[in-house]
Amino acid sequence: MNNVVKGIILYVVGWAAFHYGLFPQMQPKEFSWVANRYVYFLLFVAYCIGFNLVLKLKPPIALNGLAVWLMGLYFYKAVLYPPIPWTLLITYMMLWTIGTFLYISQDPVTFAEFRKPIVKTVIGDYKIARIITFIALPVLVMGATYKSLQPRFEEPVELRTVHPAPPATTKVHGKSYTLEGLQNPFRTDEQDNYVDGGPGGSALPIEGKFPFLDADKHEYMKAVTEGGTIFFENCHYCHGDQLNGLGMFSHVFNPTPANFIDPGTIAMLRESFLFWRVSKGGPGLPNESTPWSSAMPPWEEHLKTEEIWKVILFEYWYTGWHPRTFDEESSSGGGE
Amino acid sequence: MLTEPRKTVRHFLVALAVMLIVGLPSTLLAQEAQPPDPVLEDKLELGKRVYFKRCVWCHGVEGGGDGPSADRLFTRPRNFIQGTFKIRWTDSGELPLDRNLIDTVKNGLPGSAMPPWGEVLSNEEIVSVIQFVKTLVQDRDFADEDEEVYVQDFGKNPWGTTGPYHLGVPQEDIDAGKEVFLQNKCFECHGGEGRGDGNPTMKDDWGFPIFAADWQQCWNFRGSRRNHYDPFNVVRTISTGLNGTPMPNFKDKITIEDRWKLAAFVNALCPRKKIDKLTNKPVPDFLIQSRFTEGPVSTDLSDPMWQAPDDDPGIKSRPDGYTGKEDQKWHYVAMAGQITRGDRNFKPKVDNLWVMSNWSEEEQAVYYLVEFHNRFLSIDPAYPDGVAMQWPGQLEDLFGAEKPYFIYGDSKKPVDVWKANFMVKNYNDTNAPEPNGYDLDVSVQEQVGRGFDAITEKETAGGVQVVNSKYHQGRVKIMFKRSLKTENPDKTDVQIPVQTFVPVSFLQWSGWDKEHDEHMAISTWYYTILVPPDPASMLYMPPILGVAFFGFQMWLVWMTKRTRRMAAEGKVK
Repeated sequence: MNNVVKGIILYVVGWAAFHYGLFPQMQPKEFSWVANRYVYFLLFVAYCIGFNLVLKLKPPIALNGLAVWLMGLYFYKAVLYPPIPWTLLITYMMLWTIGTFLYISQDPVTFAEFRKPIVKTVIGDYKIARIITFIALPVLVMGATYKSLQPRFEEPVELRTVHPAPPATTKVHGKSYTLEGLQNPFRTDEQDNYVDGGPGGSALPIEGKFPFLDADKHEYMKAVTEGGTIFFENCHYCHGDQLNGLGMFSHVFNPTPANFIDPGTIAMLRESFLFWRVSKGGPGLPNESTPWSSAMPPWEEHLKTEEIWKVILFEYWYTGWHPRTFDEESSSGGGE
Repeated sequence: MLTEPRKTVRHFLVALAVMLIVGLPSTLLAQEAQPPDPVLEDKLELGKRVYFKRCVWCHGVEGGGDGPSADRLFTRPRNFIQGTFKIRWTDSGELPLDRNLIDTVKNGLPGSAMPPWGEVLSNEEIVSVIQFVKTLVQDRDFADEDEEVYVQDFGKNPWGTTGPYHLGVPQEDIDAGKEVFLQNKCFECHGGEGRGDGNPTMKDDWGFPIFAADWQQCWNFRGSRRNHYDPFNVVRTISTGLNGTPMPNFKDKITIEDRWKLAAFVNALCPRKKIDKLTNKPVPDFLIQSRFTEGPVSTDLSDPMWQAPDDDPGIKSRPDGYTGKEDQKWHYVAMAGQITRGDRNFKPKVDNLWVMSNWSEEEQAVYYLVEFHNRFLSIDPAYPDGVAMQWPGQLEDLFGAEKPYFIYGDSKKPVDVWKANFMVKNYNDTNAPEPNGYDLDVSVQEQVGRGFDAITEKETAGGVQVVNSKYHQGRVKIMFKRSLKTENPDKTDVQIPVQTFVPVSFLQWSGWDKEHDEHMAISTWYYTILVPPDPASMLYMPPILGVAFFGFQMWLVWMTKRTRRMAAEGKVK
């Protein structure tokens, strides 16, 4: 019995030390083969097996089963990344529970050992345990029934397509454009040579190419400056001063404004797709993208065609991304 | 010969003397003037590069606060040329320390367009860019021998409260803080209950209009450093003032102990809500639950069915003697300027509403109490204030998540707008705080929207009423009532079913700012639901299942004992 108490204490203390001490250390921002959450979990498992072996605790099978089951729960709930929805968690845990049960009942001896405390409780050898469980369980059932009958309402979850398929053509300011093959007329500095590593690794403009400062010397920077000016007169309220979708009005709207820093937005889209999205805005979206709640204006109502192109140019300049182009390997995928 | 205890005393005295001699000047020196942090020349090149990529858009090429965004921002970007910086540890009117500027850049200024840069720029970039910003100051010089700064000592949080919510300040200290508030006439600008509704005529150093902070929305405190409920922020502001604004310093007028108490009072006014660290705003309550009442709903705002603290009950429990419904709450609705269609509104003055609802089975009617803070209401009848609830006009025809366009609907899916236009009776925006509040002159308008440019008055109104209204110390209160079903001859009134998610959104107009039509503040689509009464089965089902489970346990005992008996008798293995 003493070994069981010792084991439980080591599990709890060890888990707390690992979870609150080591786990935050093992989640660096950059990817690492050594310091990552899965290595961390393996270390934790090694610790659990380790102390049982080193101290020769020989825990009863019930405790082992409990430890294995909880370890699975911990993995799926806290370690596995990205986090999984609770419906999936329940599915995984059901499989894990079956696995744990198989482990317990691997041979009749362990199974009998596992059953022993339960049987003793049921037939009354453990008198106090029997009284407690036999009263507590019906009370729990009553409480759970009461809670499940109480009407409770959560905000309904609504799914939407973030980047819908664009139409073949779009008409802006009375002129019809075929999106396939459409280029930004201001992209004169074609191949990203405005970017350097810069200290801190961020994409900073190289020496001698700045908005405003170099607007009169470089045609490209002139367009970027004008695009930025339009962006900061119109767009930053939602898409943010940092183009990260966290502008001062962003929290109000649902869907939330796009984050251009994210590799999943403008970095994987063509400029022609952006031209269509910017010109037609929320009302131009198909139904699967909830046009009724998008706060994106149809910018053709507020901006000229060339201003739209300049804003797009600015967004790529600021974020350091390069638009998806029409070369052969990438031209098959449409605009998703 | 000295005896042992005496020796100890003498050693002690010597130690004390040494400590005094060594320690006193250094503590005195800490309060002494020091030169401002000089410009680090070697950082300027990197700082300039960062500035001309990140900052120039708002703060302008020469740092004059006149970048492209400036004219469309309320609280304009700061003009660096005069060297006036708001958030400092130095005395009023003095230059800031480098670490103050670094904190501002890192954490941003909540409630304004200045975002937190700490996640975007590296430490070195931030240090460099503030060096460059210091060179943009033309009227003063960080290297000038006459420039001195006194770094203030704000003392320590006397209650040792911790974030994020800083609860647990004793009530008597909060009450003492209120006394300090009254003695120092803070209400002249900040209003009788701290909603910033005191003075409509204030200007900043550059002649632009400026308002006092609304203490009941502390997530908008500029220097909150993303620790929105920390009384330290308030102590610092009271002690140093806000350079460039009418906020003076009270360093010599109020003792540091009283400044902490005043800060505790200010902070106690701010509702405890979960604040999203990314946006510095409370997380909106996207589902507005309307509570069931069998009999009629009271229209009296002091009735228990309309009681709920602003605070999130999960954070701050209901106060002692709370008599309202246990499950009633204020729902936070975030608002923004309508910057999408037509005449856009970039400078809305109201950025949130608080909504509470009850519905009555007997009356077959639903009530929505909509409240919001607005510092000043209209005194010009040509521009009345307004607030409206917007509903899908033909809810029954919508499929799935489908809704009308959130700005006044669209040609296929009309919206039903319940609009309350109001003027305040016997009110002037320069009036002293009025503890009893003001009555409103409300007229209800029912509209059908088929697009922001296709809004018409309903031919047959659906019977929307405003059954109570008040303007109290900067807070507008409007209670809407409508029957769940209407005659609806033109198929434009929303028919509200029970226990169904119904889309609803909110529109608001500040007459003081001459907002009208689509030049307004707007929310996105929320949902509301008329919560049904608790089913009767809640009373009898739990005991039935409890007894049944107990019976199952008894059967298990009997079975186990029988099996063991049979095993003992050798009938089974």
